[in-house]
Amino acid sequence: MAELLKEKTEKKNPEHGHGGYHKGENRHRHGRKPESLKPGSLKYVWNSVSHNKSAVIGMVLLAAIVILCILSPYICPWPYSKMNMPHAYQGPNLTHLLGTDHIGRDLLSRVLYGARYTLIIGITATVISAVLGILMGAIAGYFGGFIDSCLMRFLDIFQAFPTLILAMAFCAIFGKGVDKCIWALGITGIPGFARLMRANILRVVNMEYIEAARTINCPTWRIIAQHIIPNAISPIIVEIAMTVSRNGLTSSSLSFLGMGVQEPKPEWGAMLSASRDFIRDYPHMVIAPGIFIVITVLSFNLIGDAFRDALDPKFKD
Amino acid sequence: MSENKTALFSVRDLVVEYHSGQSIIHAVNGVSFSLGVGETLGLVGETGAGKTTIAKAALRILPDHSVERVGGEILFEGKNVLDMGDAELRDLRGKKISMIFQDPMTALNPVKTVISQIAEGYKIHHNCSKAEANQQAIKMLEMVGIGADRADEYPHQFSGGMKQRVVIALALACSPQLLIADEPTTALDVTIQAQVLDLIKGLRNELGTAMILITHDLGIVADVCDYVCVIYAGRIIESGTKEDIFDNPAHPYTKGLFAALPDLDKNVRRLSPIEGLPPDPSQVRDECDFYQRCPHRCDKCLAYDREMIELSPGHFSRCWRTEE
Amino acid sequence: MAPLIEVKNLKKYFKSAAGMVHAVDDISFSIEEGETVGLVGESGCGKSTLGRTLIHLNESTGGQILYRGQDVTKLNKKQLVDFRRDVQMIFQDPFSSLDPRQTVQDIIEEPIRLTGRLSKGELKEKVIDLMDTVGIEKRLRMSYPHELDGGRRQRVGIARALALDPKFIVCDEPVSALDVSIQAQILNLLMDLQETRGLTYLFITHDMSVVKHISNQICVMYLGQMVEKAEKEELFARPLHPYTKALLSAIPTTDIHHQKKRILLKGEIKSPINPGPACRFASRCIYANESCQQGARLHEVSPGHFVACNRVDEINKDA
Repeated sequence: MAELLKEKTEKKNPEHGHGGYHKGENRHRHGRKPESLKPGSLKYVWNSVSHNKSAVIGMVLLAAIVILCILSPYICPWPYSKMNMPHAYQGPNLTHLLGTDHIGRDLLSRVLYGARYTLIIGITATVISAVLGILMGAIAGYFGGFIDSCLMRFLDIFQAFPTLILAMAFCAIFGKGVDKCIWALGITGIPGFARLMRANILRVVNMEYIEAARTINCPTWRIIAQHIIPNAISPIIVEIAMTVSRNGLTSSSLSFLGMGVQEPKPEWGAMLSASRDFIRDYPHMVIAPGIFIVITVLSFNLIGDAFRDALDPKFKD
Repeated sequence: MSENKTALFSVRDLVVEYHSGQSIIHAVNGVSFSLGVGETLGLVGETGAGKTTIAKAALRILPDHSVERVGGEILFEGKNVLDMGDAELRDLRGKKISMIFQDPMTALNPVKTVISQIAEGYKIHHNCSKAEANQQAIKMLEMVGIGADRADEYPHQFSGGMKQRVVIALALACSPQLLIADEPTTALDVTIQAQVLDLIKGLRNELGTAMILITHDLGIVADVCDYVCVIYAGRIIESGTKEDIFDNPAHPYTKGLFAALPDLDKNVRRLSPIEGLPPDPSQVRDECDFYQRCPHRCDKCLAYDREMIELSPGHFSRCWRTEE
Repeated sequence: MAPLIEVKNLKKYFKSAAGMVHAVDDISFSIEEGETVGLVGESGCGKSTLGRTLIHLNESTGGQILYRGQDVTKLNKKQLVDFRRDVQMIFQDPFSSLDPRQTVQDIIEEPIRLTGRLSKGELKEKVIDLMDTVGIEKRLRMSYPHELDGGRRQRVGIARALALDPKFIVCDEPVSALDVSIQAQILNLLMDLQETRGLTYLFITHDMSVVKHISNQICVMYLGQMVEKAEKEELFARPLHPYTKALLSAIPTTDIHHQKKRILLKGEIKSPINPGPACRFASRCIYANESCQQGARLHEVSPGHFVACNRVDEINKDA
């Protein structure tokens, strides 16, 4: 973002228009990676991501949330589930930094403790959908024909239902609780990844370099692993980041409907939903979890964008 | 080209710069030419020489978001296109100047019938009834060799060559005074290319339309054009009549282009390519643009003022050693 | 001496929603070791499919491909691996034929590395050697394809094809995406390599002047079939098939004083889906009559000059 803004201001300033040489040197310094680094290698990706300002902001935010989440049992000023009716409906003050809810529970403690549910559900569910989705998409895209039709028609069944309804159906079958919620979200997310992966595979499979790989006796598994997947994966990386944040949000919807995380466990979405009755008189009850949701979603999105750029060698400049 | 005062279209010191990432791309660096009523000018050059940019600048359809600077003048009937307001531009585009693009697949709207696409422009510019516009559209389609029975079909029902005919009908529907054809046959097969070139030539002669033909193919220029400008690195490096350029090419680059073509009538074991590559358009140079690749370069070329030298009336070359 | 490659009645059909696409239909020809056969035709005539089928990138539908007397269509997996070492391909589009995530070094060394014969240091040396052969500067060894221009990219593609010391290379429009001045560089390179390494080429192109420059034999294809085949000089001096004549006359020439009289074909190429028995060129041919509905077989009209046209004698009476 910061770079984008800088570029825009430069555009407006006509003096910069003729400073081609300066800019050229600049590009050399930042854009060129040292020769030994390979796009796709961990070191290269890390180099690129760590030079991306917005990604650094995202990572710092995410790290802060993760650290707070791990330390929550030790730093929370109050037990997250302790009711304290005389303190109910308090706005932010020195005893309760973010205020209290309708039964007097400390919101700061609840938000800090709740981070673990949102993060764990969001990340684990996404890993499940991504791994299964990428695998199915890759198989469907590479082999095509009958296998493709079978897999895709099967996934169509999933996609025929709205995500939330489907997740509810799974919860109704498997039961309540965090682990059930993870599976429900993980399975409903498969078709999205599978379709995206399949589309990207189809784009890459028709490239001449795949044919070229076949002419040099490259074994099929190596063609898939070395040439197809690395070239088809970058949109998936962004999708993963987005899905983590979306899953966090969906899990809170499930919690609100009584199918995800159960009270008194302080899941952010559940907190948000529970406080919506008080939004007019006590907005702080909504704002506290809301801000944390926004920060988490934002940090994942920033990191996702940076990874996409880092994984695509054409984004060097 | 004709240096008389009645020039229909002229370009004076046109400069176009794009920004790309952190650098400035100098796409067109001071191009000047003019064109009289009914004349045909060929702009020849290789990929990235700036040919298409010149054409787009003439219609003011350069992508705003990446243009850094457009300088100089583009005069159509004495009026500067670069100073025109939106209303004047609308009147100019399609009605007075129209353009044929390289790829006929993307120049047509896939969800509209060809007749409605042609009639639409005519209706807007002539403010006439739909029936009248349709009549004109059918006339145009027949002129490019497509029967009235196919008028209600959609673009995907036509083959590549037929689509390019539709595009030509579309471009000529409002009888423009100037037609800019940007690589009109590059996407077509050679036998289809022959048909389309023949059609373009015939229509031009019949309607008296002036034409700028942009191409990388010297053979097409030889076939269609009266005047030729050879463009290299955003500058015209040689210009003159077709006879000047093809019979007495003067600039080392022009000579190199001819030498690099495999010749059908001669048998040579090796071709003579122009070694090296075109210069980086993001760099500003003091030396002649062609210096790095020129077989005749010398120290004086390092600080060249880039003046055009008139070799014979109307034949210019941007090389000070041409006369040697 | 037996030819290096002999193709007998090769067929390649594709299924499509509208029916069978006859991309390559009953084609026979042979290529002698060390010579270049040019394959010309317009887009969609099946010339690329033929090239790919020849080196077994596509399964053929019927017919035989004999490489040094061995039928390529019947090779087992191990034999196919050996065959692929001997035959290589240079692709048309230097933008899509190189993996954007590999460096020049990776791309060129991959074929050799897959054989597992050389150590890392030897690989590097071999790559530098190959880069030198095709004329790419050593400093570009760690560059990525998108950092190179079209000509250099095509050189990288050529280096990759040469890495296994092949005998036979299918060049699929290797210069048609390049500018004239660069095109000449690549053509010269290909001819030099042929001389120094004794390569055999199948050169696929739509550009008649390029094919004339590089080939010994020329085959002209139209809609999946071969319509004419002859020595280069013979074909250009005495084209017999009406399609070849039109094709040759349609080439724009840079000689402004002797512009050729063009033979303008009517109509456009038919669809290759279920084409039927009639001569496929008949719908565009100015000489077509009822006899063309039977279809035309390739036959020898003079030594080494084959034509697929029933009326070839009548048409060429004056010549």
